[in-house]
Amino acid sequence: MSSTEQGTSSAAPAEPTTAPESAAAPEVPESFYYVHGKDKVVHKVSAGALQHSALIHGMISNLGYTEEQAKANPFPFENIDGDILQMVVDWCNQHKGKPTPPEDTNLPKQKEKLFDLVLAVNYLEIKELLTYCCKQVAMMVKGKSPEEIREIWMIPTDAEDEAAEKEAKKRAGKEAAGETAAAAGDAK
Amino acid sequence: MPIDLLKFPNDLLREVFRLCDPFDLYILSKCSKKCSQRSTTLGRPKKWEISFWGWDELDVSIEDSHYYFIQTNNPEDYFKTELGRHTNKMDIEFPNGGGVDVFIHLIDIFGIRIVDSLEITHGSIAIFSKLAEVLVDRQMEIEFFAIGHIEQVQDVVNFAPTLSQMNITEEFRCFLKFPPDFHFNLVKYPRKMDIDDSSWFTIDELLNCTSVRIELQNSMLSNHDLDLFFRKWKKAGEFPNLRRLEIRSENIDNKSPILEMNLPIENVDNPNLGVLIYGNFSIVNSVRVAKDDGTVGWLKVNVGFCGKLEFLIPDPADYVVNSVVEGIEDNEDDDW
Repeated sequence: MSSTEQGTSSAAPAEPTTAPESAAAPEVPESFYYVHGKDKVVHKVSAGALQHSALIHGMISNLGYTEEQAKANPFPFENIDGDILQMVVDWCNQHKGKPTPPEDTNLPKQKEKLFDLVLAVNYLEIKELLTYCCKQVAMMVKGKSPEEIREIWMIPTDAEDEAAEKEAKKRAGKEAAGETAAAAGDAK
Repeated sequence: MPIDLLKFPNDLLREVFRLCDPFDLYILSKCSKKCSQRSTTLGRPKKWEISFWGWDELDVSIEDSHYYFIQTNNPEDYFKTELGRHTNKMDIEFPNGGGVDVFIHLIDIFGIRIVDSLEITHGSIAIFSKLAEVLVDRQMEIEFFAIGHIEQVQDVVNFAPTLSQMNITEEFRCFLKFPPDFHFNLVKYPRKMDIDDSSWFTIDELLNCTSVRIELQNSMLSNHDLDLFFRKWKKAGEFPNLRRLEIRSENIDNKSPILEMNLPIENVDNPNLGVLIYGNFSIVNSVRVAKDDGTVGWLKVNVGFCGKLEFLIPDPADYVVNSVVEGIEDNEDDDW
């Protein structure tokens, strides 16, 4: 699991738990990086866990940061809510160095967060997690009627779409008229 | 808790739609026109095929998985699904009482390019005209097409120009009896032609036919026609695809020869010689005939109340010539 710091300038993060290794394997020091979301809470994550994210993996692969440099330069993901980033970091840690199973039972259960999670995972390019999340989205409508699906996936009816389109046209017309009037005023 | 799906970027929507089964996508297409459009544009990564037998169900399939859309008139049963390992069913409404509109809707939703099987087996062919025109317009491939015992034969006659343009690739089967003056030319011949009442299939059709297997029942072809056919066949390069020809015709008789052989044509010098191809089709006591290029065919023609011509052109890779007849049976349940 990741250790989490409240802000970038707090005390040194706790040492991460490392997976037990066989006695024969040579000990390779694990490198860590730091990420934070919109809430500025910094998460310490191992390079191994971050390999799941093609985006971050691409960013760190040639950096060669020391521990201090990495700590001083956390990757900012201002477009991702802190709790969502926490979920992503947790998932990456849980699946560090493991082959991803065809079905993932460790997915976050909060459906209200699913939309943001999918967007974050898509942004961070975590392919396997994205597939799981999209599957969960797809599963939401299994065996449901069109009316129920409209509700679950917030799909407007044809009438609502038409009304929205009319409204948008009306608004665009008003805006255009306003601009014309303003331009005429300027000319005077 | 709802999720605003249509606000997903397209690549995410595509991934979600990819994970939906055909029933989900069908129901989704019924949510709204806009949603239907998005799922149609994005949700077609697989090579689905469709089958329609003119009754109250359509089958959308891929490999061994079949999704049957079955007509129900009870609104309470709409969208009820039954999922199995390979066979899945969903009850739906068939608008306007027929499956044609549903068929067109399904090929749109799934971006279907191949019709696995299409059979016009009952009722009026008129409702199929619309469907056939769509298939022709979209240049869709129809692997198997069958016309059954349609009541209004004239409708089929009127349908012939469209039929001749359909891209039937594997098999065309026709059980319908046409008027004597009926005539049409297929633009492209499928691998198999199986015509139950083939009086309209003239010698000109036969001479142009590029099929692998041709079966003509109740034919009007005569000894003279067949002699013409075999003289053409003997020429190098002619009928390169043909492997099996079977014709039953009242006009096959013993009054004139075919390939200078008097009828009946059968091997009397070496009885019990059997020729077997594809492990299914056999002729016993057939006569060896050869093309100018050396290709060998085996011919047998019987005369009687209704003459029967059988002709096999084996491939050296898969044919067997046996001196023992036992075990060689004419098995029509072939898969090729």
